[in-house]
Amino acid sequence: MEGNIEALTGALSLVGYGLGAVGPGIGIGIVAGNAITAMARQPEMQGTIRTTMFLGIALTEALALIGFVLFFIASAG
Amino acid sequence: MILASECDVVNEVICAPADVNELFEFPAIFTLGGFVVSRTEVLMIFAALVTVAVLYFGLRQQRLVPTKYGAALEGLVGFVRDGIARDVIGTEGTKYLPYLMTMFFFLLIGNLFEVAPGINFPITSRMAIPLFLSLVTYVIFMFVGFARNNFRYLIDTVWPKAVPIGLRWLVGLIELVSIFLLRPITLAVRLFANMVAGHLMLTLLLTSGLIFITAIPEIGIKGTVGVFWFALGLFMFCLEILIAVLQAYIFTLLTAIYIESSIHFEH
Repeated sequence: MEGNIEALTGALSLVGYGLGAVGPGIGIGIVAGNAITAMARQPEMQGTIRTTMFLGIALTEALALIGFVLFFIASAG
Repeated sequence: MILASECDVVNEVICAPADVNELFEFPAIFTLGGFVVSRTEVLMIFAALVTVAVLYFGLRQQRLVPTKYGAALEGLVGFVRDGIARDVIGTEGTKYLPYLMTMFFFLLIGNLFEVAPGINFPITSRMAIPLFLSLVTYVIFMFVGFARNNFRYLIDTVWPKAVPIGLRWLVGLIELVSIFLLRPITLAVRLFANMVAGHLMLTLLLTSGLIFITAIPEIGIKGTVGVFWFALGLFMFCLEILIAVLQAYIFTLLTAIYIESSIHFEH
């Protein structure tokens, strides 16, 4: 294994995806948490809040998913 | 089964294929004038036919009191019309409803192929379909933006008057890249990556589970790890149904939002 750079490439892209997933993870937590707070305060606004929450989650999640795709590109290349 | 021939049940704890491409690429059935037709293309046409059939048989007759099936379909159509088109775009939304509706139903059926017994392959996990749909969306909202606002659409994006002058170039640059470049890419990648991840996870968990459970007589106690994989796979299966519906909804919702942002550009 010593000096074997080939063996490292797959592991490195795995670490890269892990790092890429941290930010969106925190972001989705904030979005969902605030949506719950908003729903608890104003239950009559539930429909609008839920739509906006899914939208926020989808936009945040895109970063993690780009990382996921790049992981396969990097480990295949 | 691709995994079974290669899986080393004695030393491994999960059966992963050597190359993930073999889960998504099928051998060609026949070639038609330079176009290779494989299982993916057949399923794509099948999804379009199912979409047409579902809508035709549900709504071919306008009844005063709809049948159960017709009422369910009307609810879905009403959801796209009121929840997506009119809620997001406004009164003008009805004009874009045919496009949004077609896309929602096609994506819904294409995504649900992932969990449909006997098919088990989401056609949206091949990049061509999400990319094509997002490019159509891109053309529509670019066209609407330039038709409504002339070249102010481009100029005000690069030079937003509402922002303090020191930051204006930076905001303009970010807006330019995000609207004209990143929007179609992220729209396509979001759907594609979700479906790839789902299909990959289901295949790995369920086949690993099955292989280890059937190998219990040979490898003994270690084979029980398969029970855990299979249970997790079944749980993910239920989750994937939710994700399939949600992703079709989000794709349509974002299309509507992009069109809206082109119509009411000045806000």
